[in-house]
Amino acid sequence: MKYELVAGFETHVELATNTKIFCSCTTQFGGEPNTHCCPICIGLPGTLPKLNKKVIEYAIRAGLATNCEIAEISKMDRKNYCYPDLPKAYQISQYDMPLCKNGFIRLSNGRKIRILRIHIEEDAGKLVHSRGSTLVDYNRGGVPLIEIVTEPDFRSIDEAKEYVERLQLIMRYIGVSDAKMQEGSMRCDVNISVRPAGSETLGTRTEIKNMNSITFIAKAMEYEYNRQVDLIESGEKVIQETLRYDDVSNTTSSMRGKEDANDYRYFRDPDLVTIHVPREKVEEIRATLPELPDKKLERYINDLELPEKDAQLLVKYKKVADFFEKAIVGVKTPKTASNFIIGQIFRYVENENEKEAFHIKVTAESLNELIKLLDSGKIRMNLAKSTLDKMLETGQKPSELLSESDMAGLDETTFNTLCQQAVEANPKAVADYQNGKEKAIKSIVGFVMKNSRGKADAMAAEQKIKELIAP
Amino acid sequence: MVTKEEIAKIAILSKLFVAEDEMDKLTEDMAEIIFFADTINNASDEGSDFDNINNLSNVLREDEVVPSLDREKILANAKDSDDGCFLVKNIMK
Repeated sequence: MKYELVAGFETHVELATNTKIFCSCTTQFGGEPNTHCCPICIGLPGTLPKLNKKVIEYAIRAGLATNCEIAEISKMDRKNYCYPDLPKAYQISQYDMPLCKNGFIRLSNGRKIRILRIHIEEDAGKLVHSRGSTLVDYNRGGVPLIEIVTEPDFRSIDEAKEYVERLQLIMRYIGVSDAKMQEGSMRCDVNISVRPAGSETLGTRTEIKNMNSITFIAKAMEYEYNRQVDLIESGEKVIQETLRYDDVSNTTSSMRGKEDANDYRYFRDPDLVTIHVPREKVEEIRATLPELPDKKLERYINDLELPEKDAQLLVKYKKVADFFEKAIVGVKTPKTASNFIIGQIFRYVENENEKEAFHIKVTAESLNELIKLLDSGKIRMNLAKSTLDKMLETGQKPSELLSESDMAGLDETTFNTLCQQAVEANPKAVADYQNGKEKAIKSIVGFVMKNSRGKADAMAAEQKIKELIAP
Repeated sequence: MVTKEEIAKIAILSKLFVAEDEMDKLTEDMAEIIFFADTINNASDEGSDFDNINNLSNVLREDEVVPSLDREKILANAKDSDDGCFLVKNIMK
């Protein structure tokens, strides 16, 4: 029988606020254990949590960027469970009145992944298991999170991968999180079930918790899909349970303990008052949203006429896209800027992290200046390329690297003289070419290029030389 | 009704030591507290407006960092600590 995979995602994204969600401790990553803590975030009796304004704003940004409705009235609830990572024995979260709901993200195959809700909550502390006991660090406790919950709309692992990538990019574009999976600022839980292809009813699902890389998500889903199909094929039943994925053995295993005790006894947190979001506030936030990756990609392809592959490479990193847009202000061919970035500049920022940070010595304004010199015919492409290399090494501007004569272009008489000189200086190459060795002409052109200090047009030089040495 | 056994169990869960001679009094008190909760349950919630708890909404903080508490003070009430961390019984297996 053929089976179909059905999956849904719950994604936790750490918000890039300065302070925690309910107290003014820093959210900075790292730091000595328990040095980013106060009586509120370690849950001492008699303390009063107070909601961070920025958390609401960031969550609304995330909601708007994923096509959600923003609730006018919202509130905080207590989710009760007893585990040492929660000093209060409850997590302050949102239960039945989340801040955002009913959104969607569209995938490249046209399918819509519906977003059921986005709510705000506090992160838990970090546990380190050592020598028979458990050490607790509450620095992360109280760091603001949004949890983005989808409907079970995924039908393939590729869709899941694309969704996570898109979500990550959107969060970065709107500036609410660095969404770094390896550092834990974005983590995914996947609900997964299988059913006979064509069936409308959902199978029993399992949930794989807390995955922090797209590769692991894909592997875990594949393993779990096969495991469930094998169970069904052999007449057994899938048990609804929470699983942990182990990347070393590439298997999932059951997680007992806190995650199974599903009676969270949610109730409204009486310490926190109602959240009221006036409609004007929503519009105000909407107006500050940047162009989102999807729209940008479309514009790069349709309006700037970039090849789709190139456009994708630029859009994939917000800072690169910003740089590109500044570099093409007033230039004739955006494609030239794109080629420079992808072909030359990317050699200086090789891995994903470096591209994400995009620390290079060249400013967008300098690249813009260089392209304008090209546009106006003052310099040739090969000179532009070598100049860009120097710019990347030294951080100098084109005007600092190119002399007046470099930028003066090449007048026709000088060009013709140079070509004539090239022919005279390379009798062997001329003879070789005339004897049918086509490649020989390259060294004659090379002479022109060298002696014009890169200012000649190589194509034009080749043409001219051919005319001069034609039998 | 609340029983003495339940009080003893709650005491253990709350990590409280309760002397034998306090048990009767505590059992009575607990029964009264629960009875009081019943009174609240029976109250009508008609006309109460969800939106208006304490007539307050949007009590919010600016996102500005205030120095945290000294770690010594944070750990002062911990039953046990090690390496600047709270130390609890191993919860894995």
